[in-house]
Amino acid sequence: MLLHYIDLSWRSLKRTPLVSFLMILAIAVGIGITMTSLSVYHMMSMDPIPQKSTKLFAVQLNTTDDGTNWWTQDNVPLQLTYKDAMTLHKAEMPTRKTASMRAGFTVHLNNQDLKPFLSDARLIGRDFFPMFDRDFVYGSAWTTEQENVSAPVVVINEELNDRLFGGSNSVGKQVYLDDNVFTVVGVMKQWDSHTKYYDLNNGAFDSPEPMFLPITLVAPMQIESWGNNNGWKHEAISTFEGQLQSEIFWLQFWAELNSPAEVQNYRDYLQAYLEKQGQLGRYNRTVPEFNLKNVIEWMEYNNVVTSDNKVLLGLSFLFLAVCLANILGLLLGKFLRRAPEIGVRRALGASKRQIFVQHLVEVSLLGFLGGLLGIAIAQLGLWGVRTTSNEYNALATMDLSMLLAAPTIAISACIIAGLYPAWLVCRTQPAIYLKTQ
Amino acid sequence: MLSMKNISKVYQTEKVQTHALRDFDLEVQEGEFIAVTGPSGSGKTTFLNIAGMLEPFTGGDYMLDDVNVGSLSDNQRADLRNQKIGFIFQGFNLIPDLNLYENIEVPLRYRGIKSAERKRRIEQCLEKVGLASRAKHLPQQLSGGQQQRVAIARALAGEPRFLLADEPTGNLDSLMARQVMELLEEINREGSTIIMVTHDQELARRAPRNIQVVDGQLADFTLYQNKTMDAVASQANHPAIEV
Repeated sequence: MLLHYIDLSWRSLKRTPLVSFLMILAIAVGIGITMTSLSVYHMMSMDPIPQKSTKLFAVQLNTTDDGTNWWTQDNVPLQLTYKDAMTLHKAEMPTRKTASMRAGFTVHLNNQDLKPFLSDARLIGRDFFPMFDRDFVYGSAWTTEQENVSAPVVVINEELNDRLFGGSNSVGKQVYLDDNVFTVVGVMKQWDSHTKYYDLNNGAFDSPEPMFLPITLVAPMQIESWGNNNGWKHEAISTFEGQLQSEIFWLQFWAELNSPAEVQNYRDYLQAYLEKQGQLGRYNRTVPEFNLKNVIEWMEYNNVVTSDNKVLLGLSFLFLAVCLANILGLLLGKFLRRAPEIGVRRALGASKRQIFVQHLVEVSLLGFLGGLLGIAIAQLGLWGVRTTSNEYNALATMDLSMLLAAPTIAISACIIAGLYPAWLVCRTQPAIYLKTQ
Repeated sequence: MLSMKNISKVYQTEKVQTHALRDFDLEVQEGEFIAVTGPSGSGKTTFLNIAGMLEPFTGGDYMLDDVNVGSLSDNQRADLRNQKIGFIFQGFNLIPDLNLYENIEVPLRYRGIKSAERKRRIEQCLEKVGLASRAKHLPQQLSGGQQQRVAIARALAGEPRFLLADEPTGNLDSLMARQVMELLEEINREGSTIIMVTHDQELARRAPRNIQVVDGQLADFTLYQNKTMDAVASQANHPAIEV
């Protein structure tokens, strides 16, 4: 019977092509706008590493004096000082942890074939790769030994490997970063994360960096940060060494904690560490403050999805509701004009339920067609979003779940809009129309 | 087979109460061909609609094949209507978007009959009304008489116990009307019970049993047999409306 209803629905759409087109267009525009907002929202709020998001923790230490105001909701700085980050980085616990810092270099191969270019880079510990589930096309991460001795080694991503070495196995090859020679030890698979959750302080939606170097190179090579540096008191800093010893916050720190016991142990460790730092007179703070936030908590804490995004999403659904109100009016007109035919069908034995279902199938078909056209409009909208900034390249896209959601939302919305007209028409008293047809 | 006792139908508006049927009693036996006549507004169509369960009645008892119609829900009435009753309307009431085959198929689909059986019945019915070669035609491609034959085929396809015909020849010229009447007589000879509402006295006289509805009640036929319908209508004390 369902196929028969679909056939009847298709004939009905063809019978009134203009009204049908207007309804499909109204749904499509509503769905297109809604799906554009919803897709961006979905990408922004999506768990970027679902298999580990509850095991990776961003570390925050409040090493400011009591009374120092910060812009975070609990007054705790987002980043760490170099000396704290490196102390935690070198600590024995937990098993996997990494300091992290944004930097950048001029990249070249010291030949005429490639013009030097600027590129972002990230300085990290070798644990970063297994912590964030990074796989390699060629080679691997640098060794512990190389990290300990600050060896000039680098891991590059596939895209950079294509640019520098034509996509070949470049392990062992050399690349120049600010005229220092680095040896490629690994080529990492392309990382298309839509949210750069491991460093939300320096562009939450920027693409992951194409180069990764040992964090231990910062001091010997005097590598400057390309990220945000946050100071909270006056310090007379005139040398790079002075900057390393300062109270400026400019590094991020992540720890992998695989059980509640590990979390508690690490909390105890951080508590003890901060108490010790207070006793050393680094800051005037009565109660040590620190945070351990997993990936999802970290994204919420950093307002990755802003209230503006939520308002925009709400408005787009409101727009869809307006479209549906128009469709409801058109459906009412269309269905009630068909009352004489319904009278005949009722006389021939159709139950109210059968008439009701027939009309819901028709509105579902409208929703399905509107949903398909809506996907095309949403793609256009997302393309428009992407053209405004490279930051939206990974965000303004529709993944499979959104592609499936579009017709589902369209069909559901149309069924809601069609309930009243379908209910009205199924209550048709057949006797009224049989004599007058 | 069909039994109505003290059936009444009242149309109620805010200010007016109109009695379309009152104390209506009728017994119909299997295989009968009954012509229902009466002046305009006497309640003939209301009777037919109630008999066909197209509208509810206000009071009384209505038994159809030992089923108490008054106790049925709307969906149960739809099922019973689909299984037991075939309708033939004055205006044919074919669905314009569906070809003849599909029009005849409508009640069979609602009954849940399988495709092969539907096909067999439809072809048989189209053959019976002489339109087998036009199965794929749309209703508007046929003459009025042909459309009414399709409507009869549609009514027959469900193999109903009753055929209810409301002015089946009302929109046809006399030649086509005679042809349709002959078809109905043939169907009746084959065993179907037919109740036909008509204004046409000549057609009514061809039916073995005639009943007259006057003022919402069954009238004594002998009282009116020598009077015109208009005269009967003018004697009515309580004008009823025909809906």
